[in-house]
Order: sequence, then structure tokens, then C-alpha cells
Amino acid sequence: MAVQVRIPTMFRRYTDGEATLQVEPGTIADVIDQIERRHPGIRQQLLTEQGELHRFVNIYVNDEDARYLDRLDTKVTDGDTVALLPSVAGGGPS
Amino acid sequence: MQTRLVLPRRVVDDMIEHCRAGRPNEACGLLAAADGRVVQAFPMRNAAESPVRYALDPREQLAVYNTLEERGWELGGVFHSHTRTAAYPSPTDVRLAGEDVPYVIVSLASEPPELRAFRICKQSWLDDTGEIRELEVTIA
Repeated sequence: MAVQVRIPTMFRRYTDGEATLQVEPGTIADVIDQIERRHPGIRQQLLTEQGELHRFVNIYVNDEDARYLDRLDTKVTDGDTVALLPSVAGGGPS
Repeated sequence: MQTRLVLPRRVVDDMIEHCRAGRPNEACGLLAAADGRVVQAFPMRNAAESPVRYALDPREQLAVYNTLEERGWELGGVFHSHTRTAAYPSPTDVRLAGEDVPYVIVSLASEPPELRAFRICKQSWLDDTGEIRELEVTIA
């Protein structure tokens, strides 16, 4: 049992095409560290220089938005699923 | 490099119906694929509720991704409507493109609606600009 992390399509260039990764339990910050060690480059896609979550990405732990839990300090345990969700948006000329 | 997108007629009809129903606002949704072929459209709510913007609701987006996983499908595309302009990605579409999948645009500016598909190629999803490559759409 481990924590399953779902990788969005745009980030799979960093994970050799893998759509899901298994990581050890910890906080969301720990999870991002583990992914970064294995697949360098992904952290800067998720976090600002100030270490905050980019506003165009959402992180869900199971079905809960991490922004409404403890953000990057949210703890995840064996069996949890962490979904990295890019915001999907756009629009025509106004 | 992907150059074509095959869309079942039923999926095209579902997208156009959802886009028409969403007027005067833009409409949006996701496409599911199985083994690289689009199999179903998921019409979704436009959280931006705007005639010139669309945004998926993240919670609904997560629910669709959960369904894809349960069914062994993958994300096959993103679709949205342009209510008054051509079916071509706007600068906003490029700037906010967050998934590396085909983007289908349905233009309601003409009747019948015009449907075109594109890849929006960015070095990083945080880039404001990217290369737009049109895909040849086959309706089968």
C-alpha cells in the first residue's frame, strides 16, 4: 500500500509518460519532494518561487481540495489518492 | 506526432447539442478515449458562466477523471464553444491550456456549427504562448 499520485497529461513529459506514481505517505509537500527527486522539473510546475501552489493547479486528496485542508501540510496516508489537476479554461475574444 | 482526430458521430452530436444548450454562454466538457480513440463526450458546467470565457469546475473535473479511471479510459480531449467567433484557439485558449490533449472548438457563429481540433503545444503549462497545430478531424 502506498499513496497514489495522478499525474496530469501536461506533466507526463517529466514522468516518462507515467499517469500515476506510487509514493510514500507524508505531507503534500513531502509527496512533491518525492516526485521531484524521481522526476526533476515537476516541482517548479506546481509551486511558485515562494513555495505556494500555482493558482492554475488544484490538488485533491481523495475528494477534498487541499486548499481547504492544510494546503501543502495536508497529510496523506497509505491508500490515499492525490490528484494533481490543472485548471482547464479559456475563451474567445471578448 | 498526432495529426488526426477521429470522432464518432454520436460524440460530435453530443458536443454540438451541449454547446447550443449553453448559449449565450460558452459551453465546455471533456472527451474520453479508449486505446487512443475518442469514445464519449462528457458535457460539463461552465464555471465561468460567461459568453467569452469557460472554465471547468475542478470538482466536476475530478469526478470525470475518476470515471475515466474506473472505466480504464484516458483523457481524450477538451472541448468548448465559441459563440460568435471562428473555431480557432484564442490567445486566452492558448494561455490557459492546461492539458496536453486535443482541444476541440465548436463555433456557433455559423450554421451548421463549425468544429475544428488543435493541439496547443507549450513547453510548460505555465507558458502564456504556444504553437497551435490543427488536427485533421474525421467523423466516423
